Amino acid sequence: MKLLQCPVNGIRPLSEFSYGGEFRTMPDPDSCTDQQWAAYVHYRSGAPGYKKEWWYHMPSGTWFIAERNTITDKVSRTYLLPKMEVAV
Amino acid sequence: MSSRLINQPTEWIDRDKPFSFTYEGQKVTAFEGDTISSALWANGIRVLGRSFKYHRARGILTLANHDVNALMTDGLDTNIRADVLPVQADMTLTAVNTTGGVLKDRSQFIDKISPLLPVGFYYKAFHTPRRFFPFWEDKIRKAAGLGEVNFNYPRIPKPKQHAHCDVLIIGAGISGLSAALSVAEQGLSVIIVDENAKAGGSLTYDMADQASSQLAELLNAIEQHDNIRLITNAYAAGYYADHLVPIVETSGITKVRAKALIVASGAFEQPPVFRNNDLPGVMMGSAAQRLIYRYAVKPFEKGVVVTANDYGYRTALDLVSAGVDVLAVIDMRREGSRSPLIDELKDKQVAVHKASCVYEVIASKHKLGVSEVVICAYDELMAEADTKNKIRLKCDGVAMSAGWAPAAALLYQAGTKMRFDSGLQQFVPAELPEGVFAAGKVNGVFELSQRALDGQRAAAEAMNYLGKSVATVEVKQHQGTSPSHAYPVVNHPKGKNFVDFDEDIQVKDFINAAKEGFDNIELMKRFTTVGMGPSQGKHSNMNAIRILARIRDLPVEKIGTTTARPFFHPTPIGHLGGRGFHPHRYTAMHEWHIENGGQMTAAGLWMRPACYLPEGCHLTAQQATHQEAMAVRTKAGIIDNSTLGKIEVYGPDAAAFLERVYTGKFVRQKVGQYRIAMLLDEAGVMVDDGLACRLEEDRFYLTTSTTNSAMVYRQLQREAQLCGLSVSLANLTGAKAAMTIAGPAAAEIISQFSSVDLAATAFPTGSVVETQIADIECLLLRVAFVAEQAFEIHLPAAAGLSVWSQLMQAGQPFGLQAYGTDAQRLLRLEMGHHLIGHDTDGLTNPFEAHAEPLIAMDKTFFTGQRSLQIIAKKPLNKTLVNFVLDSNCVGELPNECNLVIDNGDIAGRITSIAFSPYLQRVIGIAFVPPEKHLPGSRFDIRNDAGDLIAATVIQSPTELAKSA
Amino acid sequence: MKSTLLKSPIAFAQLSQAPQMEVVNGMLTAVRFADKAIESQRAHKLAICDTSAFQRVSIKGSQAANYLQQLGVTLPETANQWQLTDERLVMRLGNSEFLIEDQTQNVKPAVSELSSAKGVHKVSRNDAAFILTGNDIHPLFAEICEIDLVAELATENHLVMTVIAGVSATLLSQTLNGERIYRLWCDGTYGPYLWKTLLNIIEQAGGGAVGLHHFYPKI
Repeated sequence: MKLLQCPVNGIRPLSEFSYGGEFRTMPDPDSCTDQQWAAYVHYRSGAPGYKKEWWYHMPSGTWFIAERNTITDKVSRTYLLPKMEVAV
Repeated sequence: MSSRLINQPTEWIDRDKPFSFTYEGQKVTAFEGDTISSALWANGIRVLGRSFKYHRARGILTLANHDVNALMTDGLDTNIRADVLPVQADMTLTAVNTTGGVLKDRSQFIDKISPLLPVGFYYKAFHTPRRFFPFWEDKIRKAAGLGEVNFNYPRIPKPKQHAHCDVLIIGAGISGLSAALSVAEQGLSVIIVDENAKAGGSLTYDMADQASSQLAELLNAIEQHDNIRLITNAYAAGYYADHLVPIVETSGITKVRAKALIVASGAFEQPPVFRNNDLPGVMMGSAAQRLIYRYAVKPFEKGVVVTANDYGYRTALDLVSAGVDVLAVIDMRREGSRSPLIDELKDKQVAVHKASCVYEVIASKHKLGVSEVVICAYDELMAEADTKNKIRLKCDGVAMSAGWAPAAALLYQAGTKMRFDSGLQQFVPAELPEGVFAAGKVNGVFELSQRALDGQRAAAEAMNYLGKSVATVEVKQHQGTSPSHAYPVVNHPKGKNFVDFDEDIQVKDFINAAKEGFDNIELMKRFTTVGMGPSQGKHSNMNAIRILARIRDLPVEKIGTTTARPFFHPTPIGHLGGRGFHPHRYTAMHEWHIENGGQMTAAGLWMRPACYLPEGCHLTAQQATHQEAMAVRTKAGIIDNSTLGKIEVYGPDAAAFLERVYTGKFVRQKVGQYRIAMLLDEAGVMVDDGLACRLEEDRFYLTTSTTNSAMVYRQLQREAQLCGLSVSLANLTGAKAAMTIAGPAAAEIISQFSSVDLAATAFPTGSVVETQIADIECLLLRVAFVAEQAFEIHLPAAAGLSVWSQLMQAGQPFGLQAYGTDAQRLLRLEMGHHLIGHDTDGLTNPFEAHAEPLIAMDKTFFTGQRSLQIIAKKPLNKTLVNFVLDSNCVGELPNECNLVIDNGDIAGRITSIAFSPYLQRVIGIAFVPPEKHLPGSRFDIRNDAGDLIAATVIQSPTELAKSA
Repeated sequence: MKSTLLKSPIAFAQLSQAPQMEVVNGMLTAVRFADKAIESQRAHKLAICDTSAFQRVSIKGSQAANYLQQLGVTLPETANQWQLTDERLVMRLGNSEFLIEDQTQNVKPAVSELSSAKGVHKVSRNDAAFILTGNDIHPLFAEICEIDLVAELATENHLVMTVIAGVSATLLSQTLNGERIYRLWCDGTYGPYLWKTLLNIIEQAGGGAVGLHHFYPKI
């Protein structure tokens, strides 16, 4: 099974983590069209290549981002979002 | 007659430890260290099994678990690999897949009618006439399969272990052992694994170049290192991401996580293909060597060696030294060999014939062995024998060699790109993934001294990869003749020249498959079933590729290979189960539930009582549930609600945070009040609901449903950090116990422990207070989910059992009864409340569930708001309603998920339904078309029997009770 | 009204072993499972002990470190480290959460006296807490944990948050009364399962349960 590096706790087997979906930026709900909002809610990028993903380390409750190549399944880096350096 | 040889210096058997076992009803003697097959062969027993399809008699082929000719059962285990399993005293074995024993197998007639059973015959026969299919299906089911399952198989847990090392080496042959020493000398930790009973690989049977003394030196050196862990009798089952390799032993699986992996797993010897190459007595050259050097057994009395490479010459000398009368070496190559061993063989009066082949083997009586071989001149380019001149030699055995296929399964699984080396006539690694290295025969290195160097080279590369700088090692390219032959196949008009011995596949099967259009390697595999038997193509895949290449007139590299999937050898399911860790969560009151007959059921990870059936109680579960529910309606009931999710939200922005995430308003909520907190996802779908209690200006206590507690907490954590509001979260789900006391006597019972004024005017629904109950700090709420009067208590879990017990005792005079989750379901249904995730599904939006009052669309932002704006523009297409069945309804009670039918069309479905003992009516919740949402509307439900049952929409069951 | 007795989260799982129970910090706790000699043997081979009775609290938030330091509490300097000072164990879980465990009743200020403040969030807990010890600890860890626990905990004062037998847990290693011990904390509601699962493996290996008095005779 794969290993993943939690930015705070180090390298751990994938079973310690929970996948949190693709990292996406929400469009401004006040100014976007209904179509743009629907695309944000329902569409995901299926193109092969590097994807930013949300991952959660369950024993410590740490949310972080992983950049993963969906063809080779290699994770090039994992990091805390700057505004998430202090866990809540 | 015994075929046991005198003491061999290299033997694995211990002659001081003899014992006996039983095979096919016959008592057989053996020594400790013998495998089942070696012991049988030593005793002159030649028929070790019957083939899968044609039930042909079979003996030793590879003696390496690369074939399943000798597959046996002891009545319990049906997967006994007799060739490699050490035999034990008193084992009672029979061959699988026979009717009436291995010698007299009545199914052997199938071999005679084999022309009626070409490859893929079952796709064409049996399906018409259709009415006979059940008859054929029954026959075929009985015929297929290898062994009978014993349903009394004992459960013996085989715990799984984890292990970690710097370098994991697969294979303890000369390459693997050399690599292990190189790595260990640099101070890194090594685990080296070998599937054989002893380490050494081919050094334990291929005695060229003082193999055994080299082996002794290596093993001695290995022992000096504490950082080398050598595990024999263990195979690597497969390769998993980031160098995770499960090692399988009889005692269980060890999952090894390595920082680097060296695959030195060697190669499988491949058979030449000629008619009747499967008779008992025809075996691989390396099988003959294993018999001689490991088990001191003579492979046969008199015979020939047929070879398409130089290996046969080595084998011939080994046979001679074991006392076998070797009549000739038959070399299939036009140019023969320049092996220096030819002179030695000449000295021993062994004739050598080049450009010749074994055209066919003639079977002895009942096809139980070899009686003669027929030798012809052979054109290796056309793969045709010249049958004008045949030489017949009487003999009882044939040793055959044609080459090697790399044991590269783990390399493939790791993502290695292989290339076909025409000089070696073998696939070799071309591009290895990071951290994975190959050495020895699997890497195309065959010469003994070079194999040792190749191990050191791979070790050096692995160490450099791990950041330990060591000098690289040079290995010479292969020189001389190819260790493997390009096409060791002899055509024969009568066939039975086997390619895959597991599946009884002969050369013409490939030709027929290609004729039918199955001429690509994946289709060829599945149509012929080559490589799909228990040995998974170890002895057959390479020949299959060669044959298909010739049929298609393409080079081998254009044919490709099929996918090698885990496991390398069949792995017992008990091993895969291991001990089995299945966590459960228990509430603080669990002990009380058990003592009082709680019928504990898994509610997700939690154990909860569905109802109570205490000792001496003669009620059914449904009767007990009804009784519990009636107690709540008429007196008082208490339920353990500790499983609810509980989250503390603290900080100056606590209320603002809740307004952002939930649909309701919280900023102006007063301290001492709670409001419903409904959670939507971004699509506007209802996800969870709970209560948000304001305990202080900047402190909220939030509850969630049992199922969603972990998910909601995770979501809140992420959202809190992303939105930048000043708020801190704490998951108190396990820290607090909770209980609800409901019913007319609830307030009286609690008043015995609390000074809070519980009157409806002083403490209405929606109130929460931090107070003391039985001298414990707790939270008290007035709720209305299951009854009009109900109170919920949240308190530190460590005090849960004590407070519960005290309340139970105080409640006795009032008729307080504990109720379980089944009663709770019924009670909330009687109150007309839907359950998210039960009455709603993955698409239900709040408009469909009358939840508009909980949605504050005028807020700046909340999760799901934007989607609700879009949804609100569209017409509603279904709505949840409470309903009641007619009081005189007949017919089978409808179930959840039964459909609402309107004019023959599907118009909705039932989400909850139950008989209410309190109302004496059947009530429920359903999705119906919006036009039927008004109380009084009628609709039909189709029950499982197909009848339509009439139902009426009601405002809520409590209204029904009042009007009754 | 009788005063309420607290129970260890593992009490239910221990019932069948019928240990000698005593009240520690108001919580009914197993203090002895067998006579001293047998318990010593077990501790030497492989043993598990319930230490849930120690008083515990979490302090988290942006001002947590300042608040604690002002109260004189010695804090570990970086994430995933622990510090033992005068029988108060302080664990830094990640960057800004401190788990404080008092092993006697004499530590001041007591855990119960800590409170929330601006930027300081006091979180109550119900941990199941164990001590694991013995010569055969490595094979036990090899079964219950996927990571190399012994290697991870070899660094002095390091703690690890990982999964043990399917349950999220925090672990550290230290010396107690001259023995090398491992401490484990998990959510109390998983406690009975974890106690039962670990004890089963431990007993199969020839070890067993020991009571709190084996490690803390004076408590």
